[in-house]
Amino acid sequence: MILSNVETVPGKNITRFYGVVSGSTVRAKNVGRDIMASFKNLVGGELKGYTELLTEAREEALLRMAQQAESLGANAIVNVRFSTSSVAQGAAELFAYGTAVQVD
Amino acid sequence: MNFDPSLPDEGINVSRSHPLREALLLVLGVIGVTVAVVASIGFAVDWVAPLIPPDAEVYLFADSFDPAAEQAEPDAARVEALRGILDRVSAHWPDSVYPFRIQIWDEAQPNALALPGGTIAVTTGLLDTVTSENELAFVLGHELGHFHNRDHLRGLGRGVGMTLVMFAVGIGGGGGAAQLAGIAGQLTQRGFDRDQESAADAFGLGLVAAEYGHTAGARDLFEHLRQSDDGSALSGYLSTHPLHQDRIDRLEAVARAAGWPLTGKRSALDSVLRAEPTELAAPGQSAPDE
Amino acid sequence: MDAQIALLQIGIPLALLLLGYFIGSAVERRHYASIREQELRWRSLPAVNFRTVPRGWTVEDSTLLMGNVVISVDYFKRFLAGLRMLFGGRVKAYESLMDRARREALIRLKVETVEQGYHALVNVRMETSRMAGARGGNSVAGVEVLAYGTALKLRSRPT
Repeated sequence: MILSNVETVPGKNITRFYGVVSGSTVRAKNVGRDIMASFKNLVGGELKGYTELLTEAREEALLRMAQQAESLGANAIVNVRFSTSSVAQGAAELFAYGTAVQVD
Repeated sequence: MNFDPSLPDEGINVSRSHPLREALLLVLGVIGVTVAVVASIGFAVDWVAPLIPPDAEVYLFADSFDPAAEQAEPDAARVEALRGILDRVSAHWPDSVYPFRIQIWDEAQPNALALPGGTIAVTTGLLDTVTSENELAFVLGHELGHFHNRDHLRGLGRGVGMTLVMFAVGIGGGGGAAQLAGIAGQLTQRGFDRDQESAADAFGLGLVAAEYGHTAGARDLFEHLRQSDDGSALSGYLSTHPLHQDRIDRLEAVARAAGWPLTGKRSALDSVLRAEPTELAAPGQSAPDE
Repeated sequence: MDAQIALLQIGIPLALLLLGYFIGSAVERRHYASIREQELRWRSLPAVNFRTVPRGWTVEDSTLLMGNVVISVDYFKRFLAGLRMLFGGRVKAYESLMDRARREALIRLKVETVEQGYHALVNVRMETSRMAGARGGNSVAGVEVLAYGTALKLRSRPT
């Protein structure tokens, strides 16, 4: 599955377009990470635990989006956009969407 | 480019799992973790409490507790009489460093309390329920047991621990999780509290056996308390004082293991302690001694 | 007396949970059925999220259109999510919430497009925001999804 966040896949022609496909997951942090993060808030710096968590979640969202595109028969997704929103105080939704197309 | 109006597969963005099964797992998880954490805090506190010297405890609580001074009955004669029994019983615990004080509270419910710092309070309701000096001696001995076992420190430690756990759960999960953890934590706490009461019972029993040569007072007390109150099985578990029959059985087991006689001659109660004669029949008063 | 109070303390939330579960799942099933039916009905209306107007389309008119929906979760799901947030991991209860809200918003955008007399949508974007509950941070009253895009009126229908 080719992913691109510009209008087209550079160097290729779009022969067919389907529609908007999206992938999303909702992930929660756990209390342990939360408490470690509170300590980190004192000194600042990267919250490695959260970085890993969100990276993993975003990859899963991309995977789901690719699955939707595959089920349509597409082989590329263009104009991929990400959106992260907090669903509850302890949970965030990772959302990726784009248009499924077929390129030659 | 051509438009293709197909629709993607269903269910890619949702997880197929039965919500009731997940709920069961999570609920068991929360209960399990809460019970484990609260129990470990309880054991840790039990381990640390004896290491703190009693002088420190007396100092810590010395000024903080005299709220019941107003409730105290001013009848000096009764307080004196009670004091006499206390002195005789506590003589069998020579290592104690607490400055014991006696207070009598005017309440209809029979109760006795050990207040941090060395004060023991007894209600008029209890004085009306007992019929022999042995029973009072056991009550005082039980309260002395709380001091001996450092129960105030343990209660304090466990309280702090519970607060921390509730705080952690509160910031992590939502209201439902906090409620669930709260209930699980409280029930675990009750277990510790009940063990404390049994330990205080055993200590009091030892003092009474040393003073009178037998432990009949303990059994009499519980018989009298049971006659005046009837608890159901569920409320017995949920309250901190174990059900009376349970307690009697445990006491008899302790007495038998230590070789203390279960029956014996009861000493008469000082008349000044009894406000009015009680109607309850005291077991053993009419029966001959064993 | 102590026992009755404790039973009430456990009993009432439990009853609410079961109510939330049974009625909530029924409501969700019905909504999904409606979503699927409507997606089928409007699937011939192209909605893409890139900006290029496909070759061969002659545009007569265009405008910005929106579709949005606010959906809330039942008590059972909220309770489950609260527990899940202690341990971390995938919050399955909210995944279906987001899925429903998103698809419903897109459907509403398409319906609006058709009602206004337009034929296609380009540059579709989606925004999600949370409606906080009465108790603030942890409690979720609902989630709003907004879908918006440029609707095109075409001289000739797309093939």
